[in-house]
Amino acid sequence: MDMKWKLTIPFLLLLLLCLPATAYAHGAKIDYTVNMTIDIVAKYDTGEPMGGAQVVVYAPDDPSNPWLTGVCDDEGRYSFTPDTSKPGNWSIQVRQSGHGDIVHIHIGEDTAVTGGGGYSVLQIVVMAVCGIWGFIGTALYFSRRRA
Amino acid sequence: MKKQISILAVSVLSLFIIALIGCAGDGAVGTLQFHANGEDFVREGFVSKDGWSINFDHVYITLADITAYQTDPPYDPHVRGELEGEVEVNLDKVYTVDLAEGGTDAPPIRVGEVQNAPAGHYNAIFWRMAKASSGPASGYSLVMVGTAEKDGRSVEFTINVDEECSYSCGEYVGDERKGILEKGGTADLEMTFHFDHIFGDAETPLDDELNRAALGFETFADTAEGGRVDLNMGELHLGHVGEGHCYCECH
Repeated sequence: MDMKWKLTIPFLLLLLLCLPATAYAHGAKIDYTVNMTIDIVAKYDTGEPMGGAQVVVYAPDDPSNPWLTGVCDDEGRYSFTPDTSKPGNWSIQVRQSGHGDIVHIHIGEDTAVTGGGGYSVLQIVVMAVCGIWGFIGTALYFSRRRA
Repeated sequence: MKKQISILAVSVLSLFIIALIGCAGDGAVGTLQFHANGEDFVREGFVSKDGWSINFDHVYITLADITAYQTDPPYDPHVRGELEGEVEVNLDKVYTVDLAEGGTDAPPIRVGEVQNAPAGHYNAIFWRMAKASSGPASGYSLVMVGTAEKDGRSVEFTINVDEECSYSCGEYVGDERKGILEKGGTADLEMTFHFDHIFGDAETPLDDELNRAALGFETFADTAEGGRVDLNMGELHLGHVGEGHCYCECH
């Protein structure tokens, strides 16, 4: 009797999984991506817009080379989408007719798509201690007195 | 056997520690150079807002307390806060340089350099324009010597400035980024001086803010020998970093 139920119960459960359910056709699915856009407005000290000014954007991981270049519109406006996988200070330089300025916009770790690598000092110390103790333990093991 | 194994373990351990020390500390240093630049206004001359063609024989400027900073967040001279950096390097002397030295094709003037400066991005700089204690500019922070011509009239001038000013500047703005010092490399920073801010520039519209604030040259030409013209250096914004801005205090 017990053996019979041991076989029957699993079989019944398997049958439940095979029952037809309601079919849903023509479903909708939405994918989304969050992008950060930086909008700047460049003006002279008089308040006059720097229309047509040259723009150079530097990313935090390569401060020497331009990441993006462009031109402000007639109102001194310029927009771009930084790569949020590169956290740090994004620098935007604007120049025209011998006048120029630079601004720095910080994009933090919490807005980054991917995290950074590397070990902290504490992690290095812990790993070093573990490694040292491993060597000491090995030496002690081979140098133990045999009973 | 036991002794040999112990020696082997200690040897490997020692190598591990040495490797760890090599990786843990960076110690990356390089050479940071400081330059002063009067630009083409000084090297080639220019026409002032009031039509005087000015050429300089000498422009002596005396600079002190020159300090470069690595700042994070980057220093903003518009905010006018105190300039502090995670890393600071400085030139420990007072320097009098001639911005007109070398002629029309001369590069910016090398003021000094710091060897073994920590690597990183030096994105701020401070300096004082101070009175010289000796030399051709003794007693003055700025001495301009040259000739100005207009409508057949020629004036040889020596303009002495005794006002002392401090400049707290953000990052250099120009064709290339400056101050990025890599391990074993060389980087430079530039103290830029815009003399069109004193005399104006005929190639700039007269209603431009630069020309409205500038004195022109006529004031100096009309001053009798030994006479005095009052310059408010704090309002003239002589010091820049390329096209980048500085916060200036004068006294």
